[in-house]
Order: sequence, then C-alpha cells, then structure tokens
Amino acid sequence: MIVAEQKPFEEIKQMISPYGRVLILGCGTCMTVCDAGGEREVSFLHSALRLAQTKSGNGTHSFSEYTLKRQCDPEFLDLLVDKIADVDVVLSLGCGIGVQAIAERFPDLPVLPGVNTSFMGMTKESGVWDERCAACGDCRLDETAGICPITRCTKGILNGPCAGTKNGKCEANKDMDCAWILIYQRLETLHQLERMRRYYPPRNFRTIPRPKRILRQASINAGGSDD
Amino acid sequence: MYAPVNDKAQDYPTGHEKKSPDHSLVPPCQTACPLHMDIREYVDLVAQGRIMEALQVIRTGNPFPSICAYVCTHPCEDACRRSQVDKPIAIRALKRFAVEFGGDRMVQAEAETTHQEKVAIVGSGPAGLACAYYLRRLGYQVTIFEAHSELGGMLRIGIPQYRLPREVLDTEVERLTRMGVEIRTNTRVVSLDLIFELGYRAIFITVGAHQSLRMGIEGEESPGVIDGATFLREVNLGLKPSLGKRVAVVGGGNVAIDAARTAARLGTKQVTILYRRSRAEMPASPGEVEQALEEGIEIQYLVSPTRIERGKARLTVTSVRMELGEPDARGRRQPVPIKDSEFSEEFDTLIAAVGQAPQTTSDFRVRTGKGSTIQVDPVTLTTNRAGVFAGGDAVTGPATVTEALAAGRLAASRIDDYLQHRYPLPDKAGRDRLTGDLLPETIEMVRKIGRVEPPVLPLEARAKDFVPVELVYGWEEAVNEARRCLRCGVGVEILFQDKCATCLTCLRVCPYHVPYLDAHGTIQIPADQCQACGICVAECPAKAIVLRKPFDRRHVTEELSHIIRSTAESKGKPLIVGFCCQYGLFGTGTLAGLWRGAKAGVWIVPVLCIAKVEADHILQAFEIGAEGVFVAGCGQQCARENTTDRVYQRVEKVKKVLAPIGLEPERLQAFALETTDEDPTEALDRFVEKVSSLCLASVISQEVKS
Repeated sequence: MIVAEQKPFEEIKQMISPYGRVLILGCGTCMTVCDAGGEREVSFLHSALRLAQTKSGNGTHSFSEYTLKRQCDPEFLDLLVDKIADVDVVLSLGCGIGVQAIAERFPDLPVLPGVNTSFMGMTKESGVWDERCAACGDCRLDETAGICPITRCTKGILNGPCAGTKNGKCEANKDMDCAWILIYQRLETLHQLERMRRYYPPRNFRTIPRPKRILRQASINAGGSDD
Repeated sequence: MYAPVNDKAQDYPTGHEKKSPDHSLVPPCQTACPLHMDIREYVDLVAQGRIMEALQVIRTGNPFPSICAYVCTHPCEDACRRSQVDKPIAIRALKRFAVEFGGDRMVQAEAETTHQEKVAIVGSGPAGLACAYYLRRLGYQVTIFEAHSELGGMLRIGIPQYRLPREVLDTEVERLTRMGVEIRTNTRVVSLDLIFELGYRAIFITVGAHQSLRMGIEGEESPGVIDGATFLREVNLGLKPSLGKRVAVVGGGNVAIDAARTAARLGTKQVTILYRRSRAEMPASPGEVEQALEEGIEIQYLVSPTRIERGKARLTVTSVRMELGEPDARGRRQPVPIKDSEFSEEFDTLIAAVGQAPQTTSDFRVRTGKGSTIQVDPVTLTTNRAGVFAGGDAVTGPATVTEALAAGRLAASRIDDYLQHRYPLPDKAGRDRLTGDLLPETIEMVRKIGRVEPPVLPLEARAKDFVPVELVYGWEEAVNEARRCLRCGVGVEILFQDKCATCLTCLRVCPYHVPYLDAHGTIQIPADQCQACGICVAECPAKAIVLRKPFDRRHVTEELSHIIRSTAESKGKPLIVGFCCQYGLFGTGTLAGLWRGAKAGVWIVPVLCIAKVEADHILQAFEIGAEGVFVAGCGQQCARENTTDRVYQRVEKVKKVLAPIGLEPERLQAFALETTDEDPTEALDRFVEKVSSLCLASVISQEVKS
C-alpha cells in the first residue's frame, strides 16, 4: 500500500487561494486505508476549509467533494467528467500517482496535491504505518529472510550489520531496529545462517532506467508506445 | 454566517441512492413479549430521561400499560441478554416508572363510531377489556357482558390487591367507558343465540378459567377445605373468610402463592404451602416466591396431601413425601411418592390451588377440547360457530395477563377482518429477529453494573394490609437501571460494502472485539454482538459504516439544525454548543446542570454516548456560529468501557486545524469527568467565561485593524 500524510492545513489553504471553485477529491483505496484522503478526510477538510473561509475571510471559494474508488485508473477518472464541469481546480487527496493521473486525463484542469506521498508500507497498528519497500526493481528478499535491507537499514547496506549497531538498534535512531540484526535472527530461526557468510556485490542503481514501465502483453503486441 | 449543515448529504454521499432503511433487528425481549412491545426503545428513552416519550412507546400496542406494570410476569426479562453479563434489565419496574412518572392515568383515549356493526364481548378479563379497547378504537359499537358486579375478571377477583391496586384497574375501566364502550355488569350470558338476536354481529368469548381443579383425594369436600380461586374471589369482593390460625395451601403456582400471602394478610398466624415438587420446578414467579418467604410463609417441598379428615374443630391432613423421578414430555421431573413416608398435620383451613379450567356453558354450543378449553382456529380465532370468536384463559387454560391482552388485541383485529369481509392479513413481514448469545470476548468487555431493584414495602408494613408491596423507582434509579440496556440489534452495519476498503480500522478500534475478517477476507460486523457504541462509525475512513436505525444516523445533524433555528431568535450572548452524553449523567441531572438555554447561549446537543461525536460534527458546530464548543461525557460513570479515548483524539485533531482556520484552540474543550473531581458545571462556567473573553478580544482586534 502507498502511505501518505495529509499536508498541513495552512499549506492547503495557501495552495487553493488563487482558485474559486474547488473539488476536493478523495481516493477510496490506499489513501483511505492510511487515513490521509478517504471520504472521512475529504469531508473533514471540506468542513475545515469552509469554516476557515467564514472565520478568517480566506478568499471566496465554493467547495464540492467526491471520493473515487481509485484515482490511478483512467476509467475511474471518467466518472469525474460531470463533476469537474464547473470547478476551477481539483484538490486531490490521492497519492502522487492520482494527482498525475488527473493531470494526464484532464489536460486543461489544474490539479493540486493535498497529501505528501511518503512511502510504500504497511499498517503496524491502528494509526501507525511503516515503510517496507523501496521499489528498487530487483528484489533480493529471498536472500535476506524476507527483510529488506535497502528500506529498513538506514544506510541501505547489502552486507550488514555495520559497526553502528548497538543492542539490536541502529546508531542513527535508538528506537529503530537494526535491519541486519533482524535478518540475522530470522535466518537463525529458519536455519539458514550460512547465508550470512555470502558476499553481496554492490548494486548498480544507475542501470535501472526511470521511469519504468511494465509490459504484460502477448509478444505480438509488444512494444507499446508512449503516445 | 449560518451555513446550512446538511448541504453535503453526509449520510448518503453522491453515487448512493438516498434512502434510509431501518436495518435494526428485533431484540430478544421484544420477541419474548406476548404483546411484542418495543422494549428496547422505551428503556432507551428512560435512560435518556425522556419519560413522556417512553410512555408513548409503551402505549403503542399495549392497551393497559399500568396493569402490565404491576402484574406482568415479564418473559422479556427472562430473554434479556444482559443476564449473560450480569443480571437482566428490570424491564417491568422501568415500565412502572414510565407509566407513573409519564402520567399514564392522564392519557385520554378517544373513539368515534365509524362502523354500524355491534360486537358483544362475553367476559371482562384482560382479554375482553383489550378486545373492547381495540374494537372501539376501530370504530365499532362494543358491549361487554360481565357476570360479576364489576369489570376486570381475574384482574379484579383473582389477583390480590397488594399486587394490583384497584384504582389502577378502575382508571382503565373508566377510560373504556369514556370511549363509549357499553358495559353490562351482573349479566351472565347463557345463550349466544340471544346475543345475535339482539343485533350483535360478532361475539368474543373470554370467560377465563375460574373453575378450580380438584385434588382428587379423600375428604376434599370437608368443611374447611376451599379452592384457591373461590378464596381469592371472596377476599377480593370484600368478604373476610375466617381461616383460623393454621392454613395450608396446596399447589405451587401463582394462585397458590397469592392465596398464601392473602391468608397471611387476613391475620393467619401460620401459613404453609405444600408443593409436590422442589423449588426449581415451581411455576410461580420466583420474585413472588421470594417475597412470600420474606413474609414468613413456610413452604414444604416434595409433599403431597393424600387424605383429609375433619375432626371436631380442625382438619387432619395426611401427606406423603415425594422424590423427583424421570422428566415428562415437557421436561419437568415427575414427583414419585416415597414408600411409608406418610405423616399428618393439623390445619384449620386448607386452600387447594392445584390448577383451574374454563367454565363454559354448554349452551354456547362451541367445541371444547382438553381441560374444557374452547377450541379455536389459531389464525382467525374463530370457533366452530360463525361469528363467534374466543380467546384468553378460556382457550389457553390459565395463562398470564399479558398473554390475555395479546389475545384480546389479536381478536379485535380478527373480528374486524371478519366484519369487513377480509381474509386475515398475515403478520407483517417484519425485521429480522436477533438470536444467539453474546460471545465470551464481548461479555468480557461490557462493563458490569449491578441491577437496581425497585424498592419494596418494609416487611412490618406488609403483612397487615393489602397496599402494594413493590414501590416505584426514583428518577435516578430508573435512569441508572435503564442505561444498563445493551440495546441488542441497533448496532452498526457496513451499509456501503463497495466503499469499504477493508482497512480494518473498525476491527482495530472496536472495544468489544466485534468485527472480524471472514474466510473470504471480507470484514463482518455481526449484529448480535455489536454494542452500538458508534466508535467505528465515527472512525471508518471510508464512511462505509452506519448505525442501523435511520434516526440514530440523522440525530446530531438534526439537533444542530434545531439549534440554528432556535438561536436565530435569541442573539446577544455568544453561542456555545455542547455535545453531551444523554445517557445517565445528563438524564440524572449532573450534566443537566450544564443546560443554560437561550439566555446564556449554551445549547446542548444530546448524544447517545459522546463516542458518536465525529470530528466533523465539532467543525459543523463552529460553522453554525458557535463561539465555543465542548464535549462532555459520563467519564467513569459511563455504562461502556474505553469509549472516550477516541473522542479525545478527535478533539485534538480538530484543535490542530482551529488555529489556521482563525479560531483559538481554547474555544474547544472536552470535559474529562474521570480526571477531575470538580463539579462539571464549574468547569463549564470557566469555559463560558474563557470563550466570552476570546470573543471580546477578537472584536477589539478587528476594530483595531479597521
């Protein structure tokens, strides 16, 4: 899941100030699960913005709200055609992907990001989310007992632990587990400690092209183009 | 400035059909009630201190709630699921509170004649009275024929006055007379043909079961032996039979207990009940048995009289001791005599209360069955004769007042069907019934609160006369008892499955561990476990969860609009809106002190537990013009566990945006009663002062700017 955090209210207020009619657009998938831009947050932001306008004379806006199941698919975005007919800007509470999808689907319509897309991660407990994957495109979790050193080691080192580990915690943050200690302990449980003896050569991140694209089509259709 | 609150159609956002279905389930208490009273609803209203409304709910579907409030055997309490946590809700006592404090005796019933057909009701027991009430309300001309001098049947001649004061019965009879029901007392009906000849189109036979069964033992006819029904009738009609010093009562039903307690009140020194099974099998209601024992009545269990001999002045009663054998078809263990265990005792009087049967005259020419009960079609209540219906004890054999009232109510609608040439309509396909027990993990999380029993007359005042033993709750006791209700079946549901992102928030925030993931990975919130605290409704990030009752869903929004309308007339003071728990504290008065009304500008939005207050609601309160908003709950006195933490989190969340919005965060406050020993009214006064000064400051700073 993609995890994000809603932008500070002040920043959102500043962002929308040049526009009159604002559609606050929620996303019903990841942003709902990480409590950053689901229907409840849309509704709360809507009330707060309206109230700010009454209380501090923050411009003259008119607001509307809507929540799509997902903002990152053009078919879902088609549902917006009626809603955007009379708006000046979309304030998207979708992740960065959603914002860009809207920009791509509606070339004439300004779109603003209402959240800071933070990482790919999981819910640790109610109200706590942790990063777990860096989307490096070359997964080695089979070798590290299902624990990713790229994401979870502060230094992202492939042959840990480093000398900065102390009592199982990282020198950069005493509250953070050392990823390589976690890997060691889990390998031990799995009776695969011999993997610790191997040397992992440095990865060449420059060889991974950006932006990436995945083609999952039969070979006769292969080679889809950008336009 | 006063923006309408409801312009967002919050409950049903775009893309969803705007409908308000009632998905609440019928709770076990209502299912168990012969009259299917909406018990959960009126108990809830009592918990909120809304007694008049509670009485309105009670009066819907119960013609004589005052009578039920005294004598109902409350099968609802036996079905109450609170007994799985601690003890059932004292439903009957709460009803008594509602009818007395709600002013039931003031309620006027009115009826107009809209049908020309006349209906005769033979017998004026609870079934007859109920049938008369409903037929009259439907617009029929109704005549009640009663053999005795006064109306009421068993209510008057069977039930002792200490259980049902006669004024209560008289009030109900008076009301029927005012409605225009014709009453003919001292009129024993011997022929139904005659009634038809008098122009009546339908007859409802409800003659009760007044004929005592015989014990079938030697000496039963001796002087000094009297049957229970006759004894109670004589006492209730004002006679004072002389009983002597020692009285035996044979039997274990309510009539036996009533006879024994009545005998004690007539001055008998020693009253002994002889019952052939043990206490566990006793059909009398346990509360009555308890009170009888308190009053010094002795009960000999596993004893059955076999022979009565009349001596010069006294009776010698020979009894045999019993033991319990194999259970019979109904599951009750049968008593078996123990060999050579006979013993004799002397009594002045023996009252036989071993059961009763209807006494139907054969001139009625209606078919009778087992125990000389009248046979009727269970759906139409018709007998073998056209236009003749029957109900009550005469059909079922001895049963409860509430069952008789239900039979009378049903008969009224069936007679209406008959006279209007309609097929009886099948019962409305209603809402689903809630069945099943609470799970151990749910029970564990429900706060245990002891049942508040209604006060009773002190012992020394009891055995002397016939004043009612059970007294009525005070306001605070009633509210505290009522809020123990678990509100089975009004919990939440995921109404919009398509919106649910299966984020598992509900599963994580539920204090009762109710939501779970099923084998298909779908989140389920089982209705039979949900405690209706509303936390998941307020937390669900997709707003997919709603309370099952439409009223509960609209509640806060409607209250806020009400405030907008009310404040439009009374300006001057800064408006302060308070979300206050309406259960308990508010109803009992502690929080009621927070109410300041139009003058001081403090308006209360009553909520059913502050856990249901959403962050959005607080913003809405500011939006309708509130200068300050506070949230006040019951704290430690809350009937629920762990419900407030989430509310305080929401309050903090709102506080964070208040400053950038242009409002001081001090304008919002949550009163945490569990952390302060101080009077919440003082805390509120300080809050009001603070808000007033903030208002003043902002006015000044604006003037300075301009």
